Amino acid sequence: MIEEWDLLFANKPGNSISTGISSYLPRLGLSALFLCLLSGVVLTFYYRPMGNVFQNVEEITTLVPYGWFFRQLHFASGQLFVILMLIHAIDHFHQKRYRLYPVGQWQRLIVSLCLCFYTLFTGFILKGDKEGLFAARISMNIAGNIPSVGEPISRLFILPGEGLFFLPYLYHCFFLPILILYLIRTHIRKWFPKHGIFYAGAAGLCLYALFVKPFVDIPPDAFVASVKGPWFFLGIQTLLKTLPATLASIVFPALFLGCVLVLPNLEKAGGKSGVEKGGLRIISRYLHRLIVLVFFLYALLTFKAAFWGP
Amino acid sequence: MFERRQFIKKSAVWGGYALGAVALGFPVFSFVGFRKISEKKITFPPDAHHAAANYKEGVYLISSKDGFQALSAKCPHLGCTVNFDAVPGEFKCPCHGSTFDPSGKWMSGPARQNLQELPVKKNPNGDIETVIKI
Repeated sequence: MIEEWDLLFANKPGNSISTGISSYLPRLGLSALFLCLLSGVVLTFYYRPMGNVFQNVEEITTLVPYGWFFRQLHFASGQLFVILMLIHAIDHFHQKRYRLYPVGQWQRLIVSLCLCFYTLFTGFILKGDKEGLFAARISMNIAGNIPSVGEPISRLFILPGEGLFFLPYLYHCFFLPILILYLIRTHIRKWFPKHGIFYAGAAGLCLYALFVKPFVDIPPDAFVASVKGPWFFLGIQTLLKTLPATLASIVFPALFLGCVLVLPNLEKAGGKSGVEKGGLRIISRYLHRLIVLVFFLYALLTFKAAFWGP
Repeated sequence: MFERRQFIKKSAVWGGYALGAVALGFPVFSFVGFRKISEKKITFPPDAHHAAANYKEGVYLISSKDGFQALSAKCPHLGCTVNFDAVPGEFKCPCHGSTFDPSGKWMSGPARQNLQELPVKKNPNGDIETVIKI
């Protein structure tokens, strides 16, 4: 109880969150987002989502002056932003801050986090190498496997054939960044004034892009024994080996996401009686534990797939 | 009385929205869901016939004592391109590990279907021709 009151007074909605992870990491994330957008704009001048995309990406990396730098900066800043946002969401979840803020704010955070992961995924496809190509095909087939509405839904996100990269490109460069910026607009306004962390983050990322070489891309025609998806889908890739595709990649993630989204509603739902309210509190407490358990299991699955193969 | 009138009015408005959504959604869904299926002809030159398995643009040409067999390289599970491993003599999917025997028959893994067999035609000049839908 004391903990809850402390939390309430320390982090009232509208006040800036005092110190620690929730203070510094989002500001660092903002500098990553800014650099990601900037480097992305630079890359669009040479990147073409049609024809031989792999060759186009390789030209950016090896032929175009400073192409390697902008590509690496775009990759690193994008990854860092999403990882920091994930940590921010975990921190909120762990501290149960969704109790203090309006329900919509927590849901906006989770939805924007999902959109961020989707942006990373489209970026992974747009590399145009073997991994990207297979990721595109797998996502297309998974969406297409949904009974009755699968085909039209998959066509909303990806098209087979020559234009395979076109829709992911549109989403990656236009729809998703605009939507994410819109959803986190209040945060940006709040985080921006701290210039020190912002510049430090930008400098760190630029140094990383200068000194760390980009990963080697696998040509689409190369024969490799095992192909891995993006790091956050490695757990699902493992599950796909044993479970039906729709269950492993749509039903389970949707159930998990639904539980995460509905948690503050349970906390704040007013029952007719005190007993009803208490019941909802107990359900939400168990749901909280279940989410933690599933998250840890997925993290374990991801580590296993990253180090010993999916 | 007033509540009932309001309820009917609200229902009519929401019904109109739903009807509008269906009237607009159906053409959009049909437009987006449409897919033109085209065919691509793939030709294997005569010198490619000697190897156990030849790969070209998503098709494997398998030669055996019974003749030639063309197989789609697309894994029936989620569409990755399968590799032919000559040592055990089997196809293996690099994404989720399904395996198939040299005739394309499913052996293990999540695919649970055989590789798609494609029609094969031998031209007078010795070329082997096959057609794949894309």
